[in-house]
Amino acid sequence: MALIRVEHVDKSFPGRHGSISIMQDISFDVKDSDFLAIVGPSGCGKSTLLRLIQGLDHPTAGRIFFRDQPVEQVCAQMAMVFQSFALYPWLTVAQNVAFGLEALGWPKERIAAQVEKYVSVTGLDGFQEAYPRELSGGMRQRVGLARALAVEPAVLLMDEPFSALDALTAESLREEILQLWGDPALPPEAVLLVTHNIEEAIQLADRVVVMSRRPAHLLEEVVVDLPRPRDRKSDAFYALTDRVFSLITEGGTAPPPSGESRGAA
Amino acid sequence: MTERANLHSLEFPSIYRTIALYATIPILVGSVSVVAFGTTITGVLNHLPTATYDVSLSFLRMSAAYAASLGFSLAYGYYAATRRTGEKVMIPILDILQSVPILGFFPVAIYFFVDLTPAVSWLGPNLASVFLIFTSMSWNMVFGVYESLKTLPAELREAADSFGLRGLQRFRRVLFPATVNRLVYNSVLSWTGGWFFLVEAEIFTTNTQPLRGIGSYLSFSASAGNYDAFLAGVIVLAIVIALLDVVLWRPLGRLAERFRYDTAPSGEGELIVHSREASGPFRRAASYVTRGVRTSVSWLSTSFAQLASLTGRPTRKPSEFQRSALYNLALGTILVLVWLMLIAITVAVFRVFTGPISASVRHQIQLLPLAMAASTGRIVLAYAICLAIALPLAIYVARRPRASRVGLPIIEIIASFPATALFPVIIFGAIPYLTAQGAAILMLMTGMLWYLFFNLLAGVRSLAPDLEEAARSFGLKSRQFFRRVLFPGLFPALVTGSITAFGGGWNTLIVAEYLNVGGSHTLSVLGIGQQIDIGYAEPGGTALMVAALFTLVATVVAINELIWKPMYRRAAERFRYD
Repeated sequence: MALIRVEHVDKSFPGRHGSISIMQDISFDVKDSDFLAIVGPSGCGKSTLLRLIQGLDHPTAGRIFFRDQPVEQVCAQMAMVFQSFALYPWLTVAQNVAFGLEALGWPKERIAAQVEKYVSVTGLDGFQEAYPRELSGGMRQRVGLARALAVEPAVLLMDEPFSALDALTAESLREEILQLWGDPALPPEAVLLVTHNIEEAIQLADRVVVMSRRPAHLLEEVVVDLPRPRDRKSDAFYALTDRVFSLITEGGTAPPPSGESRGAA
Repeated sequence: MTERANLHSLEFPSIYRTIALYATIPILVGSVSVVAFGTTITGVLNHLPTATYDVSLSFLRMSAAYAASLGFSLAYGYYAATRRTGEKVMIPILDILQSVPILGFFPVAIYFFVDLTPAVSWLGPNLASVFLIFTSMSWNMVFGVYESLKTLPAELREAADSFGLRGLQRFRRVLFPATVNRLVYNSVLSWTGGWFFLVEAEIFTTNTQPLRGIGSYLSFSASAGNYDAFLAGVIVLAIVIALLDVVLWRPLGRLAERFRYDTAPSGEGELIVHSREASGPFRRAASYVTRGVRTSVSWLSTSFAQLASLTGRPTRKPSEFQRSALYNLALGTILVLVWLMLIAITVAVFRVFTGPISASVRHQIQLLPLAMAASTGRIVLAYAICLAIALPLAIYVARRPRASRVGLPIIEIIASFPATALFPVIIFGAIPYLTAQGAAILMLMTGMLWYLFFNLLAGVRSLAPDLEEAARSFGLKSRQFFRRVLFPGLFPALVTGSITAFGGGWNTLIVAEYLNVGGSHTLSVLGIGQQIDIGYAEPGGTALMVAALFTLVATVVAINELIWKPMYRRAAERFRYD
């Protein structure tokens, strides 16, 4: 059963000389227990797609469904983690994590307990009263993550969450994401990760949706069924990154590794 | 390296240094006073109670105006930032209003409020002065709120949308905190400008019915030759300003540090030039106040710059037509006509009260173009002198770290003291040495100097250091350096400094050109300010007052539209780094 269905979505923006088409005829599903990555060249509209899915923006054509209901307003069962963390400088870590819960109208005691739980889960213990400016980049993104998880979303949307971090911090955060994902007691039910880092996509996701240059269309959905934890030096891993890379750079002329990909409809 | 400026580690400034710095003005004035006018300590002490009472009245007016201003700015700024009509209509209206010399309207405002409250005689002028200060405070605060909302980083807005924050929660958690930063330092600069104008307004009222306050107190003391009393007034005023600073602005400034955007994704929103000074504890604690004082004179530059880039669409170079003289002339004419309409309405209303215009007044009205030219000439001369002082001083202070560390705090504190408070002594004490014209020009200069200085200072500071390094590595000699690098780099700051300086000058006209304390005729030079004052003071002269005001406003707006704004646009185009 598909949690999210994206059906023939187009998106264009008004420009100076007529409208600019960002994406065309994008269709894919996100199922329960899916970890889906969306990759593509810069500016191909991956981040826009994420916003369309949550309902922050609306497609020019096509429809998006969440649990079979059309997404018309901002969907409260999805939560986003932002590229530049989007933390409020005047709120403490605890207040930032509580942000979404306050909007949902939870009572104070419940909020406090929930904040405690997710501060712990993301390794932020002891920093509850700190302000974002006192934290490193990695810690800030952990706050962003805690904030998103605290509302217990069905789908976690991640918009290039590690691209503003240095390589080492990004790596350790990826491991943490995998740990959280592997814990069945924790939300979410599905993760949608947008990234321009192909290795990251192959390392984390079960399926990789590859988008072309603007006006973006779906090139292919590449299935990654390697067992976790994944060895980045294995031949299978290389083959997959090669495949995605060639799809992006050549529009998909290199042959698929046998039996491991499924072309778009 | 990220400045770990959390509140916990901030030390408090050395109390002795603070006192020493704030004592600068009273000491300066006091020494001159003792030497030139023979004041004594006991004499001064005797007058402290009266002085304190009068300063308190002025302080009450300032507070009332500020409270109104705060509420108005939050409402207007929020509205303008969130509605389409905001950018199209509300901001351009403010843009025009802010260029009108507010002080020129004071006489009219007095009339209006006095008419409004015939029963209570003291209420009218008080309301007029509070209204006046309210308008002078509001413009920059509204722009501050507007800008901070418009430049809220997109991600923060998206996060609020994404987590479904709406209504009052959104205001409390996101929108209001985003404005705190700008509100605090705009408040500092509003108060600085406010003191200047309030004292000036109170001095003005001594022409007829004095408004009890520090301005009139200082006027009467100086005109009576009572320099003990005068010095007492200056001291109390300086103490009040210093107290406000220490008790209110600095703590607020430290608090507002929390609301700064630390990382800079696109849209940081603050046009403050980051100081290159050493960040010792004193400097950090004082940073808000000094920044406020420093930028108190350049708020117009921020509003101009932001207006150009914040209309919600990508910036467009003005089209050929828009840049042509024809367009600007047409625009200027339309504005003048609008004012004509407004003034005509006002005059019509006054006609009902004041009857036909007498022949002598009619004759005076014919003098107005000449008076306007005289005032303009005076302002241009004052401007030239200020430029000759401010430019070298700014370059010197900015490029010598030792000079700036020592001299800048002193300059900033001097600039935070309203120069208008010293006008009475300039008028009554200095005219024998300076002549009336000289005194008028000197007073105009005090209203213009700081605008020029602080803008130029910011301009020199903002010169990208790598441009300087490149000049040095290519072995540019001093003269070439100034010609090719420094002066072109300063041009935008020079333009905004000049715009604000002229604005300050226009506003000072009504006390710089005519002062008649308690009926003993003391200063009168031909000029538009003088005409406004005469029209106000003489019976039957309201038509003259209104006509003079109209002439002033029309000229100022025309100069702004035809000279300053095109120059600013050219500066923005040619000298931008991006």
